[in-house]
Amino acid sequence: MELQSFVAIPNVAYLGAAILFILSLGGLSNQETARRGNSYGLVGMVIAIGATILLLVVPDAYGTTRVISSDNWTLLIATALVGGVIGSVMAKRVAMTAMPQLVALLHSFVGLAAVLVGISTWLTADLAGYGSDLVHLLEIWFGVAIGAITFTGSIVAWAKLRGWLFGKRVPGAPLLLPGRHGLNAIAALACIGMAVPYVSDTVSQAETAVELEKQLQAAEGVLERIENESAGIRLMQDEINAAVAEVERIEAALQVASHPSTDSRAFLFLMMLTGLTCLLGVHLVIAIGGADMPVVVSLLNSYSGWAAAAAGFMLANDLLLVTGALVGSSGAILSYIMCKAMNRSIWNVVFGGFGTDGGNPTGEGAEIEGEVTVTDIEEVAELARNAKSIMIVPGYGMAVARAQHLVNEFSGMLRKRGCNVRYAIHPVAGRLPGHMNVLLAEAGVPYDIVLEMDEINDDCPETDLVLIIGANDVVNPGAETDESSPIYGMPVIQVWKAETTIVLKRSLGAGYAGVGNPLFFKENNKMLLGDAKDSMSQLTALLT
Amino acid sequence: MRIGIPKEVLNGERRVAATPDTVKKMIKMGFEVSVEAGAGGLANYPDQMFIDAGASITSDADSLWSSSDLICKINPPQARSDGSHEADSLSDRGTLISLLFPEQNPELVEHLQSGSKTAIALDKIPRITRAQKMDVLSSMANIAGYRAVLEAAHLYGGFFGGQITAAGKTRPAQVLVIGAGVAGLAAIGTARGLGAEVRAFDVRPACKEQVESMGARFLMLDVPMDESQESSGGYANIMSDEFLKAELECFADQAKEVDIIITTALIPGRKAPELILQDMIDSMKPGSVIIDLAAEQGGNCTATVPGEVVVSSGVHVVGYTDLTSRLPTHASQFFGTNIVNLLADMGGAGDFKVDFEDEVVRKSTVVRQGTLTWPPPPDPEKPPVTSQGKGDSEVVADLPQPKKNSGHGHGASNEPMAIGPRNVIALTLAVVLALIGFTAESAPVPHFVQQVTVFLLACFIGWQVVWSVTPALHTPLMSVTNAISGIIVVGGLLGVAGTEVNTAAVLGAVAILVASINIAGGFLVTQRMLQMFRKEGN
Repeated sequence: MELQSFVAIPNVAYLGAAILFILSLGGLSNQETARRGNSYGLVGMVIAIGATILLLVVPDAYGTTRVISSDNWTLLIATALVGGVIGSVMAKRVAMTAMPQLVALLHSFVGLAAVLVGISTWLTADLAGYGSDLVHLLEIWFGVAIGAITFTGSIVAWAKLRGWLFGKRVPGAPLLLPGRHGLNAIAALACIGMAVPYVSDTVSQAETAVELEKQLQAAEGVLERIENESAGIRLMQDEINAAVAEVERIEAALQVASHPSTDSRAFLFLMMLTGLTCLLGVHLVIAIGGADMPVVVSLLNSYSGWAAAAAGFMLANDLLLVTGALVGSSGAILSYIMCKAMNRSIWNVVFGGFGTDGGNPTGEGAEIEGEVTVTDIEEVAELARNAKSIMIVPGYGMAVARAQHLVNEFSGMLRKRGCNVRYAIHPVAGRLPGHMNVLLAEAGVPYDIVLEMDEINDDCPETDLVLIIGANDVVNPGAETDESSPIYGMPVIQVWKAETTIVLKRSLGAGYAGVGNPLFFKENNKMLLGDAKDSMSQLTALLT
Repeated sequence: MRIGIPKEVLNGERRVAATPDTVKKMIKMGFEVSVEAGAGGLANYPDQMFIDAGASITSDADSLWSSSDLICKINPPQARSDGSHEADSLSDRGTLISLLFPEQNPELVEHLQSGSKTAIALDKIPRITRAQKMDVLSSMANIAGYRAVLEAAHLYGGFFGGQITAAGKTRPAQVLVIGAGVAGLAAIGTARGLGAEVRAFDVRPACKEQVESMGARFLMLDVPMDESQESSGGYANIMSDEFLKAELECFADQAKEVDIIITTALIPGRKAPELILQDMIDSMKPGSVIIDLAAEQGGNCTATVPGEVVVSSGVHVVGYTDLTSRLPTHASQFFGTNIVNLLADMGGAGDFKVDFEDEVVRKSTVVRQGTLTWPPPPDPEKPPVTSQGKGDSEVVADLPQPKKNSGHGHGASNEPMAIGPRNVIALTLAVVLALIGFTAESAPVPHFVQQVTVFLLACFIGWQVVWSVTPALHTPLMSVTNAISGIIVVGGLLGVAGTEVNTAAVLGAVAILVASINIAGGFLVTQRMLQMFRKEGN
């Protein structure tokens, strides 16, 4: 069988892989099908990589076969293996609380890969044949820029998440440079500005290459003519030598001209672009407060998709294009959901420094008056024992206190007694969209009793007891009533409509957003002060 | 026609089958009423009141019986203290309306088959909606349930309702009601009214709603309850062993927590099931009270002695069989009204007949004109199954309902695979997209335009598919998109695949490295996360 008949196979395989990727995202529509969805994704990936390898070894549509040296093969396989092993170890070791960091790190890798692929594509471009394609050059330019922003932005996000998790209570405070919007604008303009010499240099080099190719053809024509004329006559040897030298000279020049060089001015600009967009990425994310990491990570998820799509454009690879678009829109949706849940404008997050525009970033909200009722474990146990319907509102504080296993034990015990215990999850309860669901699943909480805010909010008035564990702002009634509150307008879980609420809290301090919570002063609210883990273990002990 | 209301002979019986109020109604219907002297005394209806209502008073029981066309009484006829039998006193053409329990009293049934006597068993009135107003078992069960709580409150050494006073606070009494029939529901309502916290159990899951509407918590067992459907007549069936075991375990757990247990579990035509065993009694707090409403049928509690109160491990076990009689005034009122309703159904005085076309009459007639007519022929088709309604009044005709989803509605359905409408759209688009990709080679569109088309369509598909992802899986969504973003490895592969290891190849190799981390890490961590998600009970 001729190898050429294989040419169509990669395309078909890419199509299959694209469909499998779509199914893998579609499988996540519910927990029953999710695992199968993940397997679809894996199969799609294997098919895509296999097809690409096939693409490398079979002749292309013009019948030319790539020459790949054994050194290159070694490099390819070795890096793939090393990367695979590192990835597996990371996936195995990562704690579920550290998922945001892992996700941020993986985003940065996509960004980095996009940058590297962009530069590598530019360096390997065949200018004599293809290089004057302006669109292609700009695709590379854009791909490198978005890749670099994703790369450094994600690295900063990762560092912020890590720093916070080390418990030093450095909640990734926003670093706000003076006139940062101006700086962003200047950087963006510079990126556009630098594209001009980069494009013009590359295009002129490509024109040179095309010109040289014409000259080469002419010189080769000359050489051929001389050789024909001088057949068997030694007299014309000098002329022949001169013609051969001319051909060799032009060939050497073409060799140089047809491939962009690392010494060229265009390369310098490409590097400057990389550097500048790396700085831009740092600047955009560092200006965003630690509380808004769910939005930032979602946004970077989207960027990583666009970076992959840009790589698809520059490589004219439809699978990369489709995958990038899928991931990009997925991240965009998540960002949108997160922004809505936090009542933020997406543009504030995109351009950085969100929550600091207009008004007082550390606004206190209205003064709250009233008494805080402090309760004890016995009373809470008593209330839990007598409640028919209990809602548990977990926040990230629960995970920090590592109380989720005890909370699960507690809820399981009560459910066994016939009590309708359910969990209410605010979209921003964790440090990632859906993070709290994963943490609860890890602790063994069945997913069918874990409900989203929108699903459970209407049930609040019929709930006897609400336990708020490590959450604060997501149950703040001020978000609905107090127009002066910085979180005014943010959708919250309306726990205060329940008969009794218990807030498990270390102390009577303000929440993450630095906002006082009027819930604490409501008559039907009681505070259970102390470490959530200790409280929960005493509570479960009392209920057994 | 003359109705005779005799004084009840049964020892300890305080009720009477008619009250001045119902006597008035009988007379209005055209009956003549004669009441035995002192018949209503214990129910606080002195003879004078009957006279005022229009009845005549007869002092001799035997002559009352023999001179009446209709005898209405409560308990089945029995031997009097002087040795004569009530049934013998019934005139040859007379009709008796009372409780008869023909299964338990075959001798009595035989006794009544003489002359052309007719006997109607009030306990055999079918439990259909129309007959509810004549159903003495329901009206008496309601009273028994009410009284049971009062007996419990009387013996219990504490408050029912929680108290918050200057002298301290108490928590509400915890009451467990087993069996959510009429008596059970009445008990729940009464206990709730006194301020207790009530939980209830019934083998019929359909009762859950009724129990909850009365303000009690419905206990569910772990084993599936759908086998435990309702038998005809609104009573529970006999359960499987597995179910019974789970049930007993549940009661054992409950016994440790509750202060009062009221059992009302009856199986028609059988001995009452034993549900509260000795070890459960031992585990209860001293001072707790058990009221066994099934005492007459053998009792739901091991320690029950019918008609008595025994103390076992400091727990009062009450086996009174005369709970309704302990509330004689209103019990008589209800009983009498049931009888009046039955008389009206049978045509009143002017048109009185034992009409076998009438389902109620047919089912409750044990003897007609001296011949045995019991048991009645089976129904040609099953009449609507009824279950007891709230409290004492209405009957809700309902079949066992599917268990209501009590708030597990999570969007997570049990559909085999998520090929929802959205995915269908997405797949269709994918095909369109592929066709564009294939034809583009030859089409006269510039390459870039074709790429943009593919890109925009893919964005649209992504948008459609991702909105259908449940929010609970957003973190796995991110990690799986991390993994598939690793497809950028393709770019790295193209960079490395050259003739020499130059800058481009090295850059490509680093891209492969990081992209492989994404692929391996992304898929594995997603798998790890998804394996954690489990449904309740799995």
